Amino acid sequence: MTAWRTVAHFVAHPPPEEWRDDLARRIGRRPRRVGVWTELAMYGARCCLDAAGEASLPAGARIRVSSQRGAWGATHAGLAQLDAGLPMPFTFMQSQPALMLAEVGRCLDWQGDASFALCRDPARVLQLAKLGAPREGLLFGIVEEERNAEPARSEWWRLVPA
Amino acid sequence: MSKVHLAGIGLACALGDDLRSSIESLRRGGVPPTPVAVADGIAWPVHLLAARGGDWTQRLRDTVREVAAQTGDWAERTAPLFVASSSLDIGFMEHEQQEKRLGGDLQDFACIVAESLDWKGPVFTVSTACTSALNALLAAADLIRAGEADEALVIGAEMGNRFTVAGFGAMQLLSPDGARPFGQGRNGLVLGEAVAALRLGSRPARWQLAGGANVVDGRNPSGTEASAVHAMCRGALAQGGLHPEDIDLIKVQAAGSPVNDAIEAEALKQVFVPLPPLVSLKPSLGHTLGASGAAELALLVGCIEGGAWPSADYPLDASLGIALCEEAPRRLRNVLLNFAGFGGGHASLVLKDTSP
Repeated sequence: MTAWRTVAHFVAHPPPEEWRDDLARRIGRRPRRVGVWTELAMYGARCCLDAAGEASLPAGARIRVSSQRGAWGATHAGLAQLDAGLPMPFTFMQSQPALMLAEVGRCLDWQGDASFALCRDPARVLQLAKLGAPREGLLFGIVEEERNAEPARSEWWRLVPA
Repeated sequence: MSKVHLAGIGLACALGDDLRSSIESLRRGGVPPTPVAVADGIAWPVHLLAARGGDWTQRLRDTVREVAAQTGDWAERTAPLFVASSSLDIGFMEHEQQEKRLGGDLQDFACIVAESLDWKGPVFTVSTACTSALNALLAAADLIRAGEADEALVIGAEMGNRFTVAGFGAMQLLSPDGARPFGQGRNGLVLGEAVAALRLGSRPARWQLAGGANVVDGRNPSGTEASAVHAMCRGALAQGGLHPEDIDLIKVQAAGSPVNDAIEAEALKQVFVPLPPLVSLKPSLGHTLGASGAAELALLVGCIEGGAWPSADYPLDASLGIALCEEAPRRLRNVLLNFAGFGGGHASLVLKDTSP
């Protein structure tokens, strides 16, 4: 079994008040029409990579993201729009985990193997992510929107085979 | 490192409730899509599963149980289960009162699937839009190759809901009349419902998952990106130790999009010189989104083994310079299946026929 080394671990739980400004500063633009869940993922991924001292994620690395609730707010809003008539295109897009993967890749200026998976046991998702991963390693994130009393969370690990 | 083989296949789709009836339906020319109303005065054609009794959840349970049974007997049911879907349980949610919606989480859908099968093994949800089932297959294959499991079950499921149809309609991605992949005058895709089950195992069987690749490119979140098509094809070939000339058939992604189909055709011509025969399954199945990786693989294997073949009953776009084959190629050792979609996801799988 491959041993893994944690190059960086970034936790925003909850994110600081000015996290959106921080993200804009780090990636040189303000994300538009992506939804808060995707924006949280972008923020955590970029901060984790910065903490790892990597300007860009190697092309061969994997990105894996997990979340129990996903884009809860956008999905709820989209369903409410459907009740009233039709969902708005951007709300519908924001409800899809795949859009988050696209935007995380875009903000890292990266093209590669990114996927979204979950399991009741989060450790299994990380274990699965490591299987077959290339030597360039893994950028693994858990991202949750704020909901009820639970604060938003964007927690990421940059992992490479030891 | 273990090899990964296809040990069983199950399918329910618009063509039929199982693989055999789907192939028979395909031989008869298939079934047309049905208009689905998403709002007053707005309807889109969709390839629907056969009507069943019971509420949304009961229909899901019954369909999953029947489709999984087609993959053979699972004595222990302790293998990993991968549930791949784009819409998950949104069809259930849209009938709930607003304040009761989304009270659970994204794993609830997979839990219903697992409960309906009395599944005891670990259960994963994979949701990457149109590449969901392919990514689930790749993850399951990683587990088996690493020796962490001898078998795994991948279920791709897209059940009826207005939200997805309305959402794709709002994004102006749907055809009002019919899907014509690579066709002249193509004007969008037609969605489809399907539940497909693929049983993977390390024990030798006719079809081997020889290689695969997943490539996300965020530059165009709703479109196909040529460089990502190149990367997914080359990645899948490299993992299988193959070269472009080793591929005997390509199952294309093409769904009928005016722009994306053209990008895919051009990108394939850049990787494969000459281009091997191409086949499209979406005119028969519809675009079954998160289930498509499992549903199209199941139908394609059923076509090859059953001696049936989908035919395009529309003129192709001559400017693309491609053709869809009208029968299975005589030599058929390595098949490349391509998928792409929403969120910049692109994924390929090489299926190898190991029979003598």
